[in-house]
Amino acid sequence: MDIGELKKQSDVSYDIAVAKRNALEKAHARLVMVYNEHIFLADPQTINLVKTLSEAHTSPFYMLDTNNNPVEISEPKEFLQILIKRNQEAISSYHQMSKTFEKRGD
Amino acid sequence: MTKGVLLFCFDTPEFKYHKILEKCVALIRKNLKLQVTVVTNFDTYKHLKPLGFVNYKFIDPEMGNKKNGLEWRNVDRHMAYELSPYDTTLVMDIDYFTFTDNLRQFVDTKYDFLISKNAYDLTNRNSFDTRKNSMIDMVWATVFVFKKGNKAKRIFDMVKYVKQYYAYFMDLYRVRDRRFRNDYAFAIALEQANGMITYETLPITLPTLPPDCKVLKMDDEGIAWQYNDQINYTCDQDVHVLNKGMANV
Repeated sequence: MDIGELKKQSDVSYDIAVAKRNALEKAHARLVMVYNEHIFLADPQTINLVKTLSEAHTSPFYMLDTNNNPVEISEPKEFLQILIKRNQEAISSYHQMSKTFEKRGD
Repeated sequence: MTKGVLLFCFDTPEFKYHKILEKCVALIRKNLKLQVTVVTNFDTYKHLKPLGFVNYKFIDPEMGNKKNGLEWRNVDRHMAYELSPYDTTLVMDIDYFTFTDNLRQFVDTKYDFLISKNAYDLTNRNSFDTRKNSMIDMVWATVFVFKKGNKAKRIFDMVKYVKQYYAYFMDLYRVRDRRFRNDYAFAIALEQANGMITYETLPITLPTLPPDCKVLKMDDEGIAWQYNDQINYTCDQDVHVLNKGMANV
């Protein structure tokens, strides 16, 4: 492989790395959501906590928002659905983007 | 409860900021769907194309601040509380382009004042690690939300006080950058107003294009930029553009 080809591959790798990082940040930004006037991350930890508490605890239950303030959750099923919807919206978008990275990297 | 966006825009001899404002307002209208108020002066206003229903507040911008030797009219942000006609206000730099509705939800929280501490470099160079530049965390006054009331008023009063004695506070917190920056004025005010312990923040990281990136194209969906010989594009992601040459794109 000549140096020109190596440079070309390096440029493609750079483009993919930048695009991948930005797509991931975009997904993270989309995970931030407001519910009941408080801010939460629709990440696996929050989803698991809400699911566990909704199954193993009588409602209402209490949890912390992103600023560590306590919030009463009186409608756990509704909250869980919103969290899952937001999580999958963000991650499926990232999944679609990652398919394009794979094609470019071939 | 009224909710809206407050923007500050003043042309300088070097940069036609009104061109950037036109792009910014169009995206706010499309994606955030909030009322908009623009704080400007008549010299800037007379160059603006019709932007639809936008409220205008006219002030004479405070002069004297410079960036890279050029006029930098950024000193009036501390008046946002008095100038905003809304109960809850999202204040944004006009070079922050909302390609998503992500910010919309933050006008619906219980918090009196929220601001972000983090930005990340869209070119993947980590050029916004500001922690080493002062004794306190810097905040990004690019985007913040406040709800009118005693707490927000106290914070803005503190920003005014910090601005008045800015040189002293720069020394106190060992801030390297000696120009007046809203980022540090708000960071110091929040530190002081909250008892030097901690304060509530927006858990977002502002996607930012460094000043050495030339914006090549911008449409309703995203932005393409050039850094060295590399061209990249992002869509459906908010972007803070630091290169003011983008006014001409």
